[in-house]
Amino acid sequence: MITVHLNDDEKRMLDGEQGRVRQVCMEYLVEMCRIAGAERLVDLDGTGDMHTPGLKMSDFYEITLDDLRELVSEGGRFRIPTFANKSPFPEQPPIHGWESCNICSYRKAGVRQDDPAFHDRAMHRQEYELLRKMGMMTTHSCANYLTMTYWPTVGQHCSWFESSQIPYCNAVLGARTNFDGSFATCFLGKAPYYGMHITENRYGTILIKTDRLIHTDLEWDVFGYAAGCEAKCSVPVLTGTAKPTTTQYQKLNSAIHTGGAVEMYHIPGSTPEAPTLEFALGGRKPEREALIGERELKAAYDYLNYHTTNEVDMVYLGCPHLNMVDLMKLVGKIEGKRVKIPMWVMTAPWLYHAAGDMGYVKILEGAGVTLMSGACLAAMGAVPEGVRCIAVDTAKQANYVTGCYPDEDAKLQVCYGTTDECIDAALTGRWRGEWR
Amino acid sequence: MKKIRIRGRVEFPGVVEAQALVSPMPLQGFTNVNQYRGYTTERNHPLFKVCYEGKVLVFPSQRGSGGFLRYGQGKKPAAFIHTVASPLNVLCALQAHVPAMTEFELDPMDYIETGDMVLVNADEGYIEITKKD
Repeated sequence: MITVHLNDDEKRMLDGEQGRVRQVCMEYLVEMCRIAGAERLVDLDGTGDMHTPGLKMSDFYEITLDDLRELVSEGGRFRIPTFANKSPFPEQPPIHGWESCNICSYRKAGVRQDDPAFHDRAMHRQEYELLRKMGMMTTHSCANYLTMTYWPTVGQHCSWFESSQIPYCNAVLGARTNFDGSFATCFLGKAPYYGMHITENRYGTILIKTDRLIHTDLEWDVFGYAAGCEAKCSVPVLTGTAKPTTTQYQKLNSAIHTGGAVEMYHIPGSTPEAPTLEFALGGRKPEREALIGERELKAAYDYLNYHTTNEVDMVYLGCPHLNMVDLMKLVGKIEGKRVKIPMWVMTAPWLYHAAGDMGYVKILEGAGVTLMSGACLAAMGAVPEGVRCIAVDTAKQANYVTGCYPDEDAKLQVCYGTTDECIDAALTGRWRGEWR
Repeated sequence: MKKIRIRGRVEFPGVVEAQALVSPMPLQGFTNVNQYRGYTTERNHPLFKVCYEGKVLVFPSQRGSGGFLRYGQGKKPAAFIHTVASPLNVLCALQAHVPAMTEFELDPMDYIETGDMVLVNADEGYIEITKKD
C-alpha cells in the first residue's frame, strides 16, 4: 500500500495531540489517501460542500454530538467556507413545503414526511445549531452553486460532494475538487491530493463529437447522459454543441455524472480550461473519439423513458434544484391554470424565500402546484400512494426514481421529456412527449 | 486446475477467496442498489436483483451518485475488483473495509466469469483466478 507523507502538524493531529475530533478526521483522511493512492494531503483554499449533518463519515469514523459541542465551545471552525448540501440525512425532509409532502420517509411506511413531529426530528436542529456556529452555511441544496454567493475561483482547491456538483466545480468554475466533501475535509481544510487536484489529470483524454447542434435543455440533458455513458470515468472534450446556458449546465452536469462518473469535461470556447480544443487536450491526441449523433441521442432518450402507459399520476420538476429563471418561466406558463394531477417542484431553500418575495409561491399554489425546497424525490425514496407513473424532465431523476420501486407489484414508470411536456402532463394527466 | 494471477493496485487490504459475480455493465448506487438485500435495483441491469453478498464483485467501472458507497454497507460483497478507479470506489471502500483492488496489469473483466473462484490477496497485491470446470 502507498505511504502517506504527513507534515508535522498533520502528524500531531493523527497522534491525537490536538483532540479527538481532529484525530478522527485525520485518520479518515489518511485512510482515504491510501485507498485513492494519494501520497499526501493538499491544503484547501476554495470552498467545501458536504452532505449533512455528516458527523458519521462511515461506520468506522464518527464524531458524536458531545464531541461537536466540545469542539464548538473551544472555538472550532470549518477551515474553508462550507455549505450544506441537500436537506438533512437520512430523512431528507423538504425544508419548505413539507406540510404537503404526503409520502413516507425512505422505506418506512409508518413514518410520514408531513407529520410535524417527524419533520421536527428530521431537521436535526441541535446538530445544525452547532454546525452553524462552526461557520457552516445551511444552504441545503444539491445545486449549491445557485445560492452560495461565494464561488471558488479558477484553480482553487475545494472539497465538494454531490455527483452533479463535481463537474460543475471542475469544468464550469475551473476550481478543483474530487468527490470527497465531508466533515473531515471541510473542518481540517485538507483533502487527499490526487485526481482533479493535479493539473495533468484535468486535460481531456477522449473526444466526443455530435452531429446534432445541442441547444435545447432536453438535448443537453440527453446528450449529457449519453456522453457520460460513453466517457465513463474519463475526461471528455465535447464538441459540436452550442454554448450551454446556466440551466443547460445544470442538466449536463447532473446527466453526465449519472450516465458515467465524469468529474471533469471541456467544451472548447465555453469552459474556462478549454480556450481551444488543443489546449483542452493538453496538446496530446485523444485516446479515442466517439460520435453521439441522432441514433445515440434517440437511444438514450428511449432508455430514459420507461413507461407502457401515457396516463401520468404525478409530475416532478427540480432535479437539480430549479434556478430562479426556470421558476420565473414556470410561473409564466402555469399562472391562471390549474393542474389536474400532483405537480411537485423542488428548489433551493434560499431561492424559496426569493420566490416568495417575487409572488411565485402564491401563483404556484393558486395553480395547485406544490413548491418545495431542499430535498429530492428519489432521495426521499417514496412517491404518494397510488402514483404508478411519474413525469420528469431530467435524466438523473428518470434514472434513479425507479430504483426506489423495483418490485413488479409496485413498479414505477417514468415519462421523460421537456419541461413543457411535463407541464402539459400536469395540466392534462396525459403524456404527449416525443423525441423531435 | 488452471489458475491465472494478475497484479493490481490495492485500495483496501485483506485476503479472501470467494466466487466471482461479474457485472458486464458499470454499477450504479444510490436508489439503484439495495444494501439491505445486497443487490442492484437498476432497471434493465444484467445484475438486477442478483445478490452479491459474500461474492467477489467484479465490474468494469462505476457511475452516478456518491450513493455508490451503499455497495459497501449492509449485505456487502467479500471483495471489490474493478478495472477503472474513481472517487466513487474510494467512498465505497471507506464504508466496506473489505479487500478492494483496481488498475490491474491485465483487465480482470477479460479473465473472470461469474462462478469462477477468485483469491483476492490485497495484502500482496494480486488476484488469482481459478476457472470453473
